[in-house]
Order: sequence, then C-alpha cells, then structure tokens
Amino acid sequence: MRKLKFNLPFIKYQWLMIAISAVFVITGIVVIATKGFNYGIDFKGGVKLTYKFATATSEDQIKEILREKNLGEADVVRYGEPADSRMVVKVSLPEEHAVLGETITSILTEKLGANSVTLESEETVGPRVGKELRRKAWLAVIFSVLLMLIYIGYRFDFYFAPGAVVALGHDVIITMGAFSLLNKEFNISTLAALLTIVGYSINDTIIVYDRIRENRHLINSNNLNDIVNLSINQTLGRTIITVLMVLFVLFAIFFKGGGTLHDFAFAMIVGFISGTYSSIFIASPCYIGMYRLMPKIKKLFGK
Amino acid sequence: MPTSWKWKVALFAFLTVLAIYLITPTVFGFRDRYDLAVETNTPVPWYFSFFPAKWINLGLDLRGGIYLEFEVELSKAVQNKVDLITDDLKRSLTSEGVQDLTIRQEPSDYTIQINVKNDDDASKVIDYVNKQYSDLLVRRSGASSSEISLSFGLTDKYYEYLKNQISKQALEKVRNRIDKYGVAEPSIHRLGSNRIAVELPGIKDPNRAINLIKKAGQLEFKIVDESVPQAKLQQLIADAKKENGIPDDYSSKTVAKLNEVLKGKIPSDDEIAYELQYDSISRKITGGIPYLLHRKAGVTGEMLKDAKVNVHNNEPYVSLVFDQTGTTAFGEVTKNNVGRRMAILLDGVVTKAPSIREPILGGQAQITLGYGGYGDLLKEAEDLSLVLQEGALPAQLTEETKTIIGPSLGADSIHKGIMATIIGTLIVIIFMLVYYKFSGLLANFALIFNSLFLLAALTLFQATLTLPGIAGIALTFAMAIDANVLIFERIKEELALGKTIKTAVEAGYNNAMRAIIDSNLTTLIAGIVLYNFGTGPIKGFAVTLIIGILVSMYTAIICTRMMYDYLLIKRKVQLISI
Repeated sequence: MRKLKFNLPFIKYQWLMIAISAVFVITGIVVIATKGFNYGIDFKGGVKLTYKFATATSEDQIKEILREKNLGEADVVRYGEPADSRMVVKVSLPEEHAVLGETITSILTEKLGANSVTLESEETVGPRVGKELRRKAWLAVIFSVLLMLIYIGYRFDFYFAPGAVVALGHDVIITMGAFSLLNKEFNISTLAALLTIVGYSINDTIIVYDRIRENRHLINSNNLNDIVNLSINQTLGRTIITVLMVLFVLFAIFFKGGGTLHDFAFAMIVGFISGTYSSIFIASPCYIGMYRLMPKIKKLFGK
Repeated sequence: MPTSWKWKVALFAFLTVLAIYLITPTVFGFRDRYDLAVETNTPVPWYFSFFPAKWINLGLDLRGGIYLEFEVELSKAVQNKVDLITDDLKRSLTSEGVQDLTIRQEPSDYTIQINVKNDDDASKVIDYVNKQYSDLLVRRSGASSSEISLSFGLTDKYYEYLKNQISKQALEKVRNRIDKYGVAEPSIHRLGSNRIAVELPGIKDPNRAINLIKKAGQLEFKIVDESVPQAKLQQLIADAKKENGIPDDYSSKTVAKLNEVLKGKIPSDDEIAYELQYDSISRKITGGIPYLLHRKAGVTGEMLKDAKVNVHNNEPYVSLVFDQTGTTAFGEVTKNNVGRRMAILLDGVVTKAPSIREPILGGQAQITLGYGGYGDLLKEAEDLSLVLQEGALPAQLTEETKTIIGPSLGADSIHKGIMATIIGTLIVIIFMLVYYKFSGLLANFALIFNSLFLLAALTLFQATLTLPGIAGIALTFAMAIDANVLIFERIKEELALGKTIKTAVEAGYNNAMRAIIDSNLTTLIAGIVLYNFGTGPIKGFAVTLIIGILVSMYTAIICTRMMYDYLLIKRKVQLISI
C-alpha cells in the first residue's frame, strides 16, 4: 500500500455532505413537482420555428404579433449569438398543427416584410407522437438504469448496488431540477444528456467502488470508515484530472458549440459535477451503511 | 519479445491502413466531386474506383433537409375495403336466391349488417358466408327484431392482414413517388404498425415534396346531377350549414359532414362536391361552386395507363390515357350521358366539369390545372402526372411530425459543433502533455488514432452523424482520456512503491483494467438502450457513443500498452516520464 501524500477526511464530514445533498435533492423534487418541465415540442406537440431576421427584432415584438392574431402565448427565445439575430418561436396548438407553421411564417412576413424574415428550420410534432416519445423516453431511462444496476450487482455485490442507485437518483434529480428551475427546454437532446449522465455517474461510482473492492480484505468493523476514506483518496488524483478534462471539453461545447449543443452541455456539466460529488459523498457512505446494516438484516431474516 | 506483440502490431498496422483507406473519400470530399462530375457530365476521376463509395452521412441537423412522419389513416381504408366486400356479398347472395335482403356496413366497427325476412334465408346467408367468406368474416351476435338481423365482423386475422397490407402499400407508393421525384439518398421506412417515416436530406423545395407525398391521388369521373338547380342547391347547403353549425369552408371534413346532414334532402345516390375558386395572386381559396354528383364513379384513376404533362397555348395540362377497361368504361359513360356534364374529381374536389358533347371512345382525357404562373402550373402538372402514374394512396396520410432544416442553419451548427470539439480536444491534449509529459504524449497519440478509427468505423457502418452525435464523440474522447488517466495514476502508485518502470507499467495496466472495463461497459449499456428507444438524432448519438466506446477502449488500452512495450522491452528504455 502506497503511503499517500495527503489523506483528506471525506468520510468524517459525510453527514454534513449528505445533508447538503438532501437539501439539493429535496429542492429539486419540489421544483420539479411545482414548476414542471419546459418540455420541447418533441415531447409536447406543436411547432418550433427558427427564423433569421434581417432587421433588429425583439422577442416581445414577435410575441405581440402572434398574440394579436390569436395564436396564443408563443414562446420566443433568441437563438445563438445576438449578432446572428436568430429567433426560435414555439407554439403549441395541437389541434391545427399541420398548417400552423405556414400560418405563423406568413403572418410574420406580412408584418415585418418579406425580405427581413427567413425561415431556417421548422419542426412540427403531432400530439400523438409527442406523448409516445415521452413514454419511450421514460422507458429508456428506467431500462438503462435497471440494466446497469444488474451489471453492478453481478460485477460487485449487493453491498455496493444500493449506493449506486441512490447516487444515480441523486444526480438525475439534481440535473432535472436544474432544468426545471432555469426553465431550460427539456427535449430529446436533454434526454440523451441525461442518459449519458446516468452512464457517467455509474462510471464514476464504479471507479471508487473498484478501489473499495480492492481494499476490502483490509476492512473490519473498526477501520471501515478509514479504509473507505483511503480508497476515495487513492482515486482522488484520477478524479481531479478527469473532472478537469471533461469539464474543459464540456465548457468548450457550452460556450462555443452553438444553440443546440448549449443546453446539452449545460445538462452534462450539472450532472457531471453532481456525479463526481455523489460518488464520494453519497455512494461511499451508502456502502458503509450497508456494511454495518448487513449483519442486522441477516439476523432479521434468521440466517 | 513475446510473439503476441508482433500480432498486435500487425493488427494495428492493418487497422491504420484500412482506416485511412476508408476515410479518404470523406476527407477529400469525393461525394461533392462525384456529384459535380455527374452534373457537368465529365468523367469521374480515375482514382475514384480505388476507394469505397462510402462516406460519413451527415444527419438532417447538419446538412439540412426534411424529416416527416405520417400516420396512415387506416379506418377509412378499412371501411372502403369492407364496402367492396359488402357489394360483393350482396351480389353473390342475390344470385344464391336470397330474397328481400338489405345489407349495409356499420362504419364505426366495420361490421356488415344483413337483414332478411325469414329463417330460411337467414340460414342460407350464414351457410354461404361460412363457406365462401370464412377467412374474412365471422358472425357477431346481433339484436333480432321482426326481421331477422345478422351481423358479421372481420376476423381478427383478416383485420390484421388488412391493416398491415394497407400500411405496406402506402409505404410502397410513397417510396415510388419519391423515387420518381428524384431525391438523393432518401430514407423511407415504417415505424410501428401504421406510421411511415420519410427523410429527405438536402432537399430544396420542402413543401412541394410534402404535398407530393401526401396527395391522395384519387382520380374519379362522376356525372353531374342537374335535377336540382344551382340556386336551390346553394340554398340547401347554406341552410344545412346554419342549422348544424358546419364551418363555412371547403375541407374534406366539412364536405363529408355536409353530405351526412343532407341525406334525404338530395337524391339518395348523389353527393355534394365543390369546385374551388382561387384568388389569382395570393392563390388563396376564395370560394367554391357546389356540384350535385352521382355518387358512383364511372371511371377512376385505377383505370389509367399513363399520365403525361403537355402544354397548349402556354398552359400546362395533364393528359390521361386509359387502359382497356378504362377505355371501355369511359366510352360507356360518355355514350350514355351525352349532353350532360361530367365532373373530374381529384381527391374529392372537382377540378372541372365539362359537358359531354359526344361519346369519347379513344380512351383519352385531360386535366387542366387551376390558376397561377406558368412555372408553378408546370410544376403542379408534373407532380400531378407523377402521382397519377403511380396511382392513389390506399389510405390518407396525416402529418404527425415534420422537421425542416435549412442548409444554412445546418452549416452553422456543424461549424460550431466541430470548432467546440476541436477546442475542447486541444485543451485536453495540452493538459495531458503538461501533466504526464512523455506518457501524456503516448495518450495523445492514442487519441489521434482514436479519432481516425472512429471516423473509419462511422464510415464503415454508414452511421449518421448528428449534432448530438458530435457531442457523443467528445464524450468518448473524454472517456478514452479517463482510461489513460486511470492507468497512469496506477503506474505512478506502483512506481511510488519502488517498482521498476517495467513492472510498474505492467501492474498499472492490470490494476486499472477492471475499473476501466466496468465503467465502459455500463456506459455501453446506456448506449444500447438509447439505440433501441431512440429515433432520429438520438439514434445517431447512440451509435456514435457505442462505436466510440469500443474504439476508445482499443486505443486507450491496447495501443498505449503497445507503445510502452515497444519502448520498455524492445528499446529497453529505463525511464519514462509520467
């Protein structure tokens, strides 16, 4: 066993860290429950139109035009850099989705002049499809989590698995909570990000768990906390370097990747930080808890 | 030097050559050059035949184009089919000697109701259906009254077959139309039981293509019933609209409703259809002339042999040539109705209703188009002749989702996405070099080969590269680096224990392996699930993720190890900075 240059007392502060996490998770749940998600039209149905304007146009101006024409409350957001003067207009009137896009375009051209409005992309999703996609999305999340847990249960043992589940739930809830809180659009790309986070969160947990598994023969009930703490510290070098490098890439995408990738990168950054944090402060304490609880559970079932 | 090392090097060399070979067409833009050569009719450069005709497909979000999902409206099509069976059954039962029968379809559940007068006839009907229609129809228990009422429904097996058949035919028609229209690399496939997905990359006039696909293409010739004067007909319609709150437009929904409420007020074998009037400039519908038509079409588009575009007096029109049956039927109808008017209906809308001056026996007819500029009309005529040639859709298609992406937005996204990935990768490369020095250099080499192999694999599997896909690649790069970091940190640990560099490297790889494999496999599981549930861009993301993980495991573990082995065993290097 290599003597470490430093041995930070992570486990000593586990309850404090768990409490901080609990605050985040509960906030996340409350926000999701009360505010819900700003679902993208791929999940909700409706039209999403991207226009490029030749003249300076404000979000409110477009909203006002569409409101006058009884098209309801349109969601208008600037897309990309202000210099591009691109705008995304989202309207969901599920009844008339087939021609809604054309209607909006013709209204805007009429009001702003034919040469100053260019339709760059149009996306129409019928309410039926939206519903189905939403269902599939949740199935995808549930299935992948389930399969990954089975894999961990198989590769490690069931002292480890619950910690991985809790850590995973923690990361997913916090990321989704951030999306809800900041009113970021929750669409198919977000889901892809979420699933990547699921994968990454497990990945990170596995690295720490792998060390605990390796040091397991040293563990007895007296030094349990120390050994787990040691394992975390042994993997700390890797954790810091990898976190830094992944964040380099993600921040590059966040700042330079353009509109579509922006939210994707945002989800990844939140989830990634949370994933690293939870491996150390959630998954590892869970292992300790399981280790201490197991004899009692076994006794309870009379084994 | 172990013999396995030679094999590893041989494999690596082989893969490198193969990868370069595979990505050459993409890197040197063979596709554009190929298209250009075809367009300008110059010979394709000689060296093209040496390389695979494969390149990385860019998704719609990157190169522009349209993606559509249509729902095949099965219920109407099934009703039509049941109508045919009902007609057939009626004819057969009458010739079997069943007297006084009434037979009709209950459209809501596709059942056929047959009423007969006595038990004798009832058992005849049951016997006949059981004998001749046992594959199609099954008896349902129905209510009985003074008349004997029988109810037959479609068998489950036949219903399923019918639904499948209709969707399949619809897909086939859509594919033929798009092929005729001429789109490079269209992708058309069925989603689930009754949905059709169409992807047309790089298309210039999306709305035209959409209309072409959606156009039902139902051509019918019906005789106009002039027993009700136009003014009275308009009055009837206006009253019916007011009484029943039917909207004042000319959509197929409105017309269907109108016909329903007018039952009894117009002759029982008749129906109403409109000829639409357009504003000549804005091409918006300004009004409609109602026609009273005999419901039964004498001639339909199924009897066509050919449809061609012609121009007369600077006005494009579509000329029709009927086949044998069509010619006979057309001759018959025109002979019997000289002096009356015959309406030409396209998808339930009257395009024109000329008077029949004399019997037309040559089997030819023509359709003139509405109003508009010459260019637009010509396009319209071309599309119409194409649709008529390919025949009507077996069922209506409703647009469920539509994505149109302009090429400029696509180019912008790809530029930004690639720039961001390059910036991120460069920072990582510099960091690795600074932190791990020479070993970092090895990892960077591995990363370069990782990119090479990944692009080659994407080409080989003809994966579609989407914007989320680029993010997926960035992610697998990060994971590749993570694997190297894990290995290097382990080697450092071993070195700190005082081991020689050779044994430290060996132990480092061995110890790190379990964690790397476990973590990569779990991410791989997420990728596979995504692939199975995702559509479009998400599938693209999943594919790049899966390929990326596999490739990165090869380069980050096996390739770097090979380089270490070369230096430590072959060159007997004693010190490697890490």
